[in-house]
Amino acid sequence: MVEALLFWFLALVTLFGAVAMLLVPNPIYAAMSLVVSMIGISGLFAFLGADFIAGVQVIVYAGAVLVLFVMVLMLFDLKSETQAFSKGLLSRIFKVASVGFLLGGLIGVMVLEFSWILPVFMQSSPQWTMTGVKKMAQLLFTEYMFIFQILGVLLLVVAVGAVALARSRGGTHERA
Amino acid sequence: MPLPSVFFLAGFVTLFGFLLLFVASKIGEVVRDRVKSETYECGLPVEEKVDTKISIKFYLTAILFIIFDIEIIFLYPWAVSLKEFLAQGLGWYSLIGVGIFLLIFIFGLWWEIKSKALDWE
Amino acid sequence: MGADFLEVSLNALKLIFFFLMMVQMVPLLVWLERRGAGFIQDRLGPNRVGPFGLTQLLADAVKFLMKEEFIPQKAVKFLFYGAPIFALIPASLALCAIPFGPKFEIPAFSFWGRHWGPYEFILQGYEVGVGIVFILAAASLAVYSILMAGWGSGNKYSLLGAIRASSQIISYELALGLTIVAVVLIYGTFSLNEMVTLQRGPLSFEFFGKMVTIDFLPNWGIFYQPIGAFLFLAASFAESNRLPFDLPEGEAELVAGFHTEYGGFKMNLFFIGEYGHMIVASALLITFYFGGYELPFLTSQELLAIYQEAFGVGLTSSLLNALTHFAVFMFKIFIVLWIFIHVRWTLPRFRYDQLMELGWKTMLPWALGNLLLTALIYVASKTY
Repeated sequence: MVEALLFWFLALVTLFGAVAMLLVPNPIYAAMSLVVSMIGISGLFAFLGADFIAGVQVIVYAGAVLVLFVMVLMLFDLKSETQAFSKGLLSRIFKVASVGFLLGGLIGVMVLEFSWILPVFMQSSPQWTMTGVKKMAQLLFTEYMFIFQILGVLLLVVAVGAVALARSRGGTHERA
Repeated sequence: MPLPSVFFLAGFVTLFGFLLLFVASKIGEVVRDRVKSETYECGLPVEEKVDTKISIKFYLTAILFIIFDIEIIFLYPWAVSLKEFLAQGLGWYSLIGVGIFLLIFIFGLWWEIKSKALDWE
Repeated sequence: MGADFLEVSLNALKLIFFFLMMVQMVPLLVWLERRGAGFIQDRLGPNRVGPFGLTQLLADAVKFLMKEEFIPQKAVKFLFYGAPIFALIPASLALCAIPFGPKFEIPAFSFWGRHWGPYEFILQGYEVGVGIVFILAAASLAVYSILMAGWGSGNKYSLLGAIRASSQIISYELALGLTIVAVVLIYGTFSLNEMVTLQRGPLSFEFFGKMVTIDFLPNWGIFYQPIGAFLFLAASFAESNRLPFDLPEGEAELVAGFHTEYGGFKMNLFFIGEYGHMIVASALLITFYFGGYELPFLTSQELLAIYQEAFGVGLTSSLLNALTHFAVFMFKIFIVLWIFIHVRWTLPRFRYDQLMELGWKTMLPWALGNLLLTALIYVASKTY
């Protein structure tokens, strides 16, 4: 009973955040709605017994990425969008196509009913939480060690790119 | 994770704060005044808008924080299961692997310090 | 939260107790801070209201409550009121995940025609398996209340203060995270309860295949992580915006930082949140490096045995055991908090560029070096 209630609560929070992010005209409220959605997703991870991933979800997305978004939006002080979407032909085609794609995907999932994948998500015994992290580490630092190193390089490239962009001269903010 | 307890606590704290603010707003005497409700500006009339230009360093700090934060988070699973790696005889192997990762990290940090990306004037 | 009605309600009461304890420690700390300032500056400090001026803060709280409700014209209402309420949440969530004492047992009893128990309660809001990750996650949300307040006030000083505060907090979170990685590496667990258990007894460790035991020292984390402990303390000063890192509130530049436009009880809630972060930081420092709730040379089981000899096996002895360790933990917390207060009145404030450079160019490399050194010594001493 409690489990089902918890799941529906978390699912509703996640969806509410996501829908609010799309519909709210004020960009800062939109970013904050995304935070709510991220916390909901983290709750869902915790609900499934993946506590570490739940924590990481909050630390990285809510605690780092969205902090950047909110900070940037606050500094730009964007005005609320009164008109949520533009009206050109291209954007209409894009809208119809993306809605169709998402709906098609949803219906596809419902029709095909990936029943084989459900039991994988249903395991949520309490001792899974620590063994899960250790299993992940076991794979990450043996079998996928090379990929892990590539990830380090990728992050380095991102850092260099960010610094290079911030240093580039010209534009509206001429710097000495 | 004890989710019900966490949500219960968060809900209770929110309610607590809300009730306190509500009670405080009912008790205090309110005298509205045009000058009083102006934005605080050390006594001078407000001239500038809120959206003053702010150094790009703040964005850069936030972006670099995200990157380093992700790198640090990758170290947690390794740190917590180092005992298991040692038991399997993989201690040095995993340490060298993480060491290379950290070297890339250190190189990034060194480059940023050298390129003055972290300098605040 | 529990198996039956009694357990659920007791657990809920426990959560409320820990939250209210955090709230109640704030006036005490403010009093300590003001008296401490008086002591350090060779003056008296508040001493009129009640014994030693202890009820001064009660009077202040009543005054806060009586203050005029005020919202600036340009403020965004939702964020302006939401920020102080949200300021309480991260600190209280984190505090409840820290163990304040060992388990105590209520043996089975029958009451009202049915059997209850046996129950086992832990002196902790809730036990989280990945404790430290949970606390980091909760603490990383603290930035939002600052940003909400800064932008919601519609004042440029508030916004500047908020941006400064959040940049500072995220910068020092890196050094903090790296020192915690080293701690996790030594204990091999995320759970704070297990960390406390591992620090029992005299200092003993395996060093290149030999067991070394030093009887006159407790098995505390500080002896394994001296640099880490210092870095953690320094980073937690910055995380809780305390002097010498209280740049967000630099009066000379920014009036009062992100809470410039706040007054009355809204301001007070920010205060509670900030002191809450201080309490969480000290509790974590003690759990990581100073043995948590354990006494130095007497483990909780030994103490329980002593109590059981005196009072018999049952609720009394296990409750006494839990309460003794709770008192020990609070005593240790107050010592760390006294360091916080002492430093505040000792060191001057940094300049902002110095602050950021200290975070990125000094603390971060040191934390990295500490982690690498720890890992090297750990792996080397266990393999040869």
